[in-house]
Amino acid sequence: MELLNKYKKSYTNNDIQFVFVNDSRVILESDQAFLKLTIGDFIYNTHPFFECLHALENTPEEETTFNCVHLNIHDKEYTTDIKIIKKIDGILLVLHNLTQHYLTYQSIAQSRNESIINGELIILKNSELEERERFKNSFIQNFSHELRNPLTNIISITNIIANTELTGEQKNMINFLRESNANLKLMLEDILSISMIASGKLQLRNKEFNIYELFNLLRFTYGAKAKEKGLEFTLTSDIKIPEYVEGDYLRIYQILTNLLDNAFKYTQDGSINFNIELNQKRANKVSLRFKISDTGIGIPQEKLATVFNSFTQLKTAEQQNGNGLGLAIVKGLLQQMESDIKVHSKLNRGSTFYFDIVLKYPLHPTIKPDIKEKKYKHKEEGKFKVLLVEDDIHLQTTLFKILINTEVFFVDLINDGAKVIEELVNNSYDIILMDINLPNLSGDKITHAIREFPFKNIKKIPIIGLTANAYEDDIKAYLKAGMNAVVPKPFDHDVLLKTMFKYLK
Amino acid sequence: MQTSKKIVILGHFGVGKTSLIRRFVEDSFSDNYKVSIGVHITKKVVEIAAGDSMSLILWDLEGTDDLETIRNSYLLGTHGVIFVFDVTRPSTFQNINTDLKIVTEKLPNIPLLVIGNKTDLVVIKELEELLNKNQISTDFLTSAKTGDAVNDVFLKLVNQLNGAT
Ligand SMILES: Nc1nc2c(ncn2[C@@H]2O[C@H](COP(=O)(O)OP(=O)(O)OP(=O)(O)O)[C@@H](O)[C@H]2O)c(=O)[nH]1
Ligand SMILES: [Mg+2]
Repeated sequence: MELLNKYKKSYTNNDIQFVFVNDSRVILESDQAFLKLTIGDFIYNTHPFFECLHALENTPEEETTFNCVHLNIHDKEYTTDIKIIKKIDGILLVLHNLTQHYLTYQSIAQSRNESIINGELIILKNSELEERERFKNSFIQNFSHELRNPLTNIISITNIIANTELTGEQKNMINFLRESNANLKLMLEDILSISMIASGKLQLRNKEFNIYELFNLLRFTYGAKAKEKGLEFTLTSDIKIPEYVEGDYLRIYQILTNLLDNAFKYTQDGSINFNIELNQKRANKVSLRFKISDTGIGIPQEKLATVFNSFTQLKTAEQQNGNGLGLAIVKGLLQQMESDIKVHSKLNRGSTFYFDIVLKYPLHPTIKPDIKEKKYKHKEEGKFKVLLVEDDIHLQTTLFKILINTEVFFVDLINDGAKVIEELVNNSYDIILMDINLPNLSGDKITHAIREFPFKNIKKIPIIGLTANAYEDDIKAYLKAGMNAVVPKPFDHDVLLKTMFKYLK
Repeated sequence: MQTSKKIVILGHFGVGKTSLIRRFVEDSFSDNYKVSIGVHITKKVVEIAAGDSMSLILWDLEGTDDLETIRNSYLLGTHGVIFVFDVTRPSTFQNINTDLKIVTEKLPNIPLLVIGNKTDLVVIKELEELLNKNQISTDFLTSAKTGDAVNDVFLKLVNQLNGAT
């Protein structure tokens, strides 16, 4: 065993050190395997770890092991397992130098901890961003709603003034006011659209519509606009496109008008061409390509990637009005329709925007031709009796004037939700106009109560909701509560009257 | 006269235990994160009165989110304990009450201070709201990076330990 002992010694000895201290913690002996300790010294002076010897005095255990203890001694760091064994004549310390072993363990722990912490921080960062986005969107939505009521008042009162006798100068001013109102309303709607798209609240309402009528409308509107601006405007469409298709008419209209308005805004001379091609027609689906080209200022190459971002605007257009949300809305709406907008552009030569959408088309269209409303329908005898339930004083006045000006309505007003039923029992009304946010009892709750009422004449009264909460979900809930229709604020008075007459007999 | 007290610093990994000790002992800080394994022990002597000092033996333990797994030998003869969490990482304080229960079971009847660290990374007002909402009470909110309130932690512990002797 001599050979073996000789070699064994060279491999093990250096890593295991035996030290003996007396009860006063003075080092009596040390084999100095890897730590050079001073014999006769207090072991406490070697490293503060050894102060634990004091605490061990009172423990019942004969032997205690400390794993992975870092000892910095003589400017060197050792990572050790330390066994402390009580003997009758003192304390035996067995120090096992495992520095290499623990180094590996440390590097594993290092990468594990780092990756866990990084993962946590990424999740936190994301949720913070989402939270901020959510806050932003709900702020914008609430704020736009708040703006609707005063805007409705302004628009309506402007309309009322426009219908009075005015001097030429006043007429000019009113026209200017109307134009500004319209712009403001558009901007408000744009902001609302973009935040609804961003927050995923916007839902498409697919309905059957006549797409040729849409083309005609656009041809008419933008033809006039082109003439005014000295531009050429053409709208061409493939005659194989079916007349009736199913889609969200309003949103498609919004996309196209946004793109066309944009084209007009950035084109000073030349032409704007709007072309609708048929890509495919299969089973009951058509794929259409909408392409709008202009000969305007074009978009610099480096801007192409960002033109669809919110609040982005081309530099040269700074003097022109508009808030730069148009293209972002277009992109968002098209994404909802599972489509994407593309653009080609050459600086100072013009731009072409195009996209494809797939629409269902019914083989047997169900739309009947529009029955045009007479100017104002009259009740057979007397006037229609309207119960107006609205607590906003300005809206009360506005609505009152709109209704009275038609000369076919008689209007009663209530501003407390809780009094509606009582009023209905005591009077007979042809129709109710009902705000949703009312003191004491909300409009949808009142509606529900009316629909549950035992008397047929009350139960069946048409109810039209007036609301600034123009969300799909809200409107659905109001209809479900029993409203016949909901007119969003700010309302156009034609839309309001048209809706009312639809339910009046 | 000099007395010697063992103080254990506990908490999840990466919360700043090592950094707090480094700030207290050497008055320095590093942004680099070197994971501690096992235990690092340092000593710092503080004056408690003219001629009297206390020698603090600081046991900086390997961080863990499962305090049950802490080796009992590390806790032998502990006089005071500091539990640290990271105010920027909810995972280090969302189960704090369970964590503290484990700590007090393992180390009963000794002073315990609860520290929220890395306050330099958050808005204090928002942090206080968050802690209130989660019904978390702390003894100190610190920053090892700026040194904010770090000495106060150890001072308070020294005072508590001094009163106890
Ligand atoms: N900003 C900031 N960073 C800090 C603070 N305290 C610690 N850090 C950083 O947080 C990381 C972890 O700090 P350590 O002190 O190593 O944390 P620990 O609790 O000892 O971690 P383990 O040893 O793994 O348990 C390092 O990158 C530090 O620089 C602080 O107060 N503010
Ligand atoms: Mg550490």
